[in-house]
Amino acid sequence: MLIEVFGPGCMKCQTMEKHAKEAVAQSGGEHQVVKISDYAAMVARGVLSTPALALDGQLKFQGRVASADEILALLKG
Amino acid sequence: MSDGSVQASPFRRGGWLLLALPLWVFLYAVNHAVSEWIAFRLLGLTPKSHLGEAVAFLFYDTPKVLLLLTLVVFIVTFIQTFVNPTRVRDALSKRRPGLGNALASLFGIVTPFCSCSAVPLFIGFLRAGVPLGVTFSFLVAAPMINEVALGMLFAMFGWKIAALYAGTGLAIAFTSGLILGQLKMERHLEGWVQDALKGPSLGELEEETPTLPARIELSVQGVKEIVGKVWPYILAGIAVGAFIHGYVPESFMAGLLGKNHWYSVPLAVLIGVPLYSNAAGVMPIVEALLGKGAALGSTLAFMMAVIGLSLPETIILSKVMRPRLIATFVSVVALGILLVGYLFNAIL
Repeated sequence: MLIEVFGPGCMKCQTMEKHAKEAVAQSGGEHQVVKISDYAAMVARGVLSTPALALDGQLKFQGRVASADEILALLKG
Repeated sequence: MSDGSVQASPFRRGGWLLLALPLWVFLYAVNHAVSEWIAFRLLGLTPKSHLGEAVAFLFYDTPKVLLLLTLVVFIVTFIQTFVNPTRVRDALSKRRPGLGNALASLFGIVTPFCSCSAVPLFIGFLRAGVPLGVTFSFLVAAPMINEVALGMLFAMFGWKIAALYAGTGLAIAFTSGLILGQLKMERHLEGWVQDALKGPSLGELEEETPTLPARIELSVQGVKEIVGKVWPYILAGIAVGAFIHGYVPESFMAGLLGKNHWYSVPLAVLIGVPLYSNAAGVMPIVEALLGKGAALGSTLAFMMAVIGLSLPETIILSKVMRPRLIATFVSVVALGILLVGYLFNAIL
């Protein structure tokens, strides 16, 4: 699955990206983590507040850091 | 769909919180006595001496501000779990000026907001049909009437000063948004923003209502995150506050920031703008300034300049606004802060 992490590069956004990678490692599956820090790209996806996370093009978290466990739960879906 | 919940064991959290509350009350109650004991007994400093008073302030204010901050952040984060930017945006979309500006200013107080979110929020609002002026009211209110600052003011100085802060902040946000809306400055947005406004809207996040244990868990996380992040600012603020408290003579502050000088308010704003601090970090300075006879209007102006007109935020916003719009934005807000300062120095 494709995990996109949206954030301009503040502390919270980096933590979110780290959590996403941890979740992927724990899941043992084939998932890709992409970090998007460009405002135009973010806005085009309808992201209102950062950090945000989308799974296969669907926004899942917005405006807060999700824990690795939460992201893992999403991946197991 | 995510279940949107935070994994937590509600019972363990509940037990921990039940223990935390009496502990909090106990620490707060003994704080003053402990600080005097440390400064005057343990360190053997002389009461009423410059150093003694400064050190006592340091040991009194550090735990006090941290304790109050913990409680305030917990309550504020809990309230914020009921508000989210998507709902606020939808509530503001296609509102007419006036009512729209008033609602936007009110929402600005409670919406969770970090300055790195300012840009996506700004464009997201415009895309959804929130008028530029209404968006500005939100953008002014969100940092200027900081919810943590409001809680801290209430806890440290009482409801009157907290109400003054919120009321005048709302008035500035409302009026500046109204004015900026009238100026029709849409064409002063950066080119890529105008393109982004025309693009098709994509899939939205479906947000579920969190359960009570999830709200509590989020609040505990908020406390850890915010208190963990702002304590250096608080210590810096307390150090400045302790210095003012112990060493700056009352006549000096009353002279510089007193109510009888025309220059005290602009001076307070000029000192405040380049200072980048956190809302909680300013509180000890505000406390010391008021204690030393600075006028309330000047002090409020100082605080609003520090919190509401910060340089880093302006730099972030320059990614979406052309210089003329930024300049107008900053001037309108600065003017508002000056007016508030003069008003309160005149009537109080």
